[in-house]
Amino acid sequence: MDETASSAVSSLDLAWGQPSTLAICEQCDWAFVVAAESLPPQCPHCFRASLTPIEASADLLPRLRPPELMLPFTVSEAAVLQAIQNFAQGGWFAPRDLTPRNLHARLQRIYLPMWLVDGKVEAQWQAEVDFDYEVVSHQNLYSDSRGWREHAVTEKRIRWERRLGRLRRAYANVLAPAMEEHAHILRQLGAFAVERSQAATPQGYAGALVRLPNRLPQDAWSDAQAGFQAAAAAECQQAAAAQHIRAYQWTPKFSDLNWTLLLLPVLTSYYLDDERQPVTVMLHGQSGRLSGLRRASMKRAQTAALWIGAIATLIFVLSVLLAGAALFFPPLLVLAGAGMLLAGVVGLSAVIPLLVSWNVNRKNRQAASL
Amino acid sequence: MDIFPPAGYIPTASTIEGIEVYQPAPAEPAVEAGVTDFVCPQCGATTAYSVAEGGLKCSHCGYYEAAQATVVGKAAEQLEFTVETLEKASAAEKHGWGEERQEIECQNCGACTAIPLGSLTHTCPFCGSNKVIQRQASQDMLRPRYLIPFRVDTAACQQIVARWLSSSWMTPSALRRLASLKAFVPVYLPFWAFHAVTKATWSAEVGHTVTERHYSPSQKRWVTRIKTVWRRESGSVRLNIDDVLVEGTSKLSALLLGQIKNFDLRGLVSYEAKFLAGMHARAYDVPLEAAWATGRERMRERTRLACRQQASSSQIRNFGMSLDFSDETWRYILLPVYVAAYTYQNDLFQVFVNGQNGAIAGQRPVDWGKVWLAIAALLSPGVLLSLIGLVTLLLGGVGVIVSGIGFILLAIGVGIAIWLYSQATQMDDA
Repeated sequence: MDETASSAVSSLDLAWGQPSTLAICEQCDWAFVVAAESLPPQCPHCFRASLTPIEASADLLPRLRPPELMLPFTVSEAAVLQAIQNFAQGGWFAPRDLTPRNLHARLQRIYLPMWLVDGKVEAQWQAEVDFDYEVVSHQNLYSDSRGWREHAVTEKRIRWERRLGRLRRAYANVLAPAMEEHAHILRQLGAFAVERSQAATPQGYAGALVRLPNRLPQDAWSDAQAGFQAAAAAECQQAAAAQHIRAYQWTPKFSDLNWTLLLLPVLTSYYLDDERQPVTVMLHGQSGRLSGLRRASMKRAQTAALWIGAIATLIFVLSVLLAGAALFFPPLLVLAGAGMLLAGVVGLSAVIPLLVSWNVNRKNRQAASL
Repeated sequence: MDIFPPAGYIPTASTIEGIEVYQPAPAEPAVEAGVTDFVCPQCGATTAYSVAEGGLKCSHCGYYEAAQATVVGKAAEQLEFTVETLEKASAAEKHGWGEERQEIECQNCGACTAIPLGSLTHTCPFCGSNKVIQRQASQDMLRPRYLIPFRVDTAACQQIVARWLSSSWMTPSALRRLASLKAFVPVYLPFWAFHAVTKATWSAEVGHTVTERHYSPSQKRWVTRIKTVWRRESGSVRLNIDDVLVEGTSKLSALLLGQIKNFDLRGLVSYEAKFLAGMHARAYDVPLEAAWATGRERMRERTRLACRQQASSSQIRNFGMSLDFSDETWRYILLPVYVAAYTYQNDLFQVFVNGQNGAIAGQRPVDWGKVWLAIAALLSPGVLLSLIGLVTLLLGGVGVIVSGIGFILLAIGVGIAIWLYSQATQMDDA
């Protein structure tokens, strides 16, 4: 390591509070900040290649700034085991490598990044706000014998009114996705309870790999603006003492923007398919929800088909023998006919394992493409 | 948003520091303005609203100022029965007249009238009594937001009354010469106008008359009998009931007011104090909730009748219905009425003229001398002929025809006399 690289690494150490290394997977392009002494043998995302250390200056790249907040892993061991168990034993003709033991043994803790944006806003705004109010209505009953009976009922109604104004506010920790894959991952794993975030410390994320953002602040700015607008709309609703707000429009001017990171906890693992290629599964670090392609093994399906075919052949041979014996004892012909019919049915059913496996993999491919 | 805040917006309270909130300014700030004095800008004399000219007029120097009549008609804003409104109405909070007025309470009939300050009127327009006590107006009424201006002027009103008085021969001749009947007072009377949608479902047993023929073994013949067949029917009714007018005052004859209540609410204009300048105006004494109870009663009766009309026959029994009100709204409006009160032979009579269309209703004394004379005149031919017939019948036996005609005329006379008596009684009781 030359002097420049040494300098970069030392500033990275300083920023992240621990001896750290930047590493990237050349297979899937996921980059991580890894504790210097614990570089994993495989990429914790694709498990297809090893991580290659890279050199960079923590001061020059905003994405290398240390995290401000993090969500701790709160999922229990029992919940993880249950999720893995359900996944591994949930279908037909699973690959031989897809076992709860393997998945559990290969678990890796990683943190996914989200941008946290702080900033000051000056804006003019306008919106429609609603105020709930109550009206008194009446219901009546009439019968010839008892005349009119009436009772009053109170109903809640909504009145929308126009409001506008100016705001000069500071907002902290507005969220924006820091990964291109953010929406896809959240769709698979579900949302994170970001309100439970806590201050990020080196001890907090020690032992885990931290995924680096691949979405720069300028790309995430539109999402951050939407977050600022939502926060401002909520405050304007509160300021107007209204129950709801809609059609919120504003003309903001931002200043003093500060970008930091929030870390989202995720567990990853993998199993090997028929071609001995790793298939990644991910597990939500808070809820324990598991997501991943659950492939069917065509090899196991072929083996099953062969066994069924062999049984059909055996039944057929026995039926032929019975047919021969029927020359001497004709009633056996009925038994022989039934045997042949059974052999045909069993033989045809040999394609079922193949069809099932093919269909499972087809659905997985469709799910993966979404 | 180049200019901030834009026109028509006013600041309102904000619960968060650093956020300013603006709301649309109230649509009719003029209504909420304080007290207005109607003084002629030319000579300083008091101006008053002139019905004939439709604006403020100074009787001293002839100065004229048109009233800005914004006709809103049926589009006049209707208010909901919010809990807040009802609480305020029942507490009779706030809302004045927009023109400083004083209230006169009549000790004779109990009526309260808000009249302009400095008015020389000391005669109660409802009973004609001079025994009145002046006190400060309470200024605690709900402010009327719309009114219908007077369209009929005093001269036209007097013609209407003259025609009305001469339309019946039963009234005393001296009545037409009463000076006080010419002194009609234009008064804006308070009315509550209600709107609601009534949705009702009903069920009842409906009877149908059928004719049956059957053989009677006891009578040994076919007989016909009529019987009512009852069957269950049900239905639903949805009525959009608009502008049910309920009097806002209980001091005047509801019967008479009901006869002139055919106001065309398309003539409603936004309230402006100018319309009341120099006029009398009554504040409501029937509160909103009580008036709405009356309005609901009328609406549900209309709905009940509509339900009964849906039945396939008019024979209905065990009728039952459930009714829900929705979209209930109200308006507090002032409607123009000319009022006159007069005494005749120590009895008090009221006359009302609709200030918009000239419809008239009132009490007229009956000259019972004229009525009895007319009845006597009706009966006398029959009595006379009957007597002549009886006498000639006893003398020569030829009076059968005469007495027959006499009895017929007597019967006709009695019939007409009864009708006449009932008409006179009705007029007397009005």
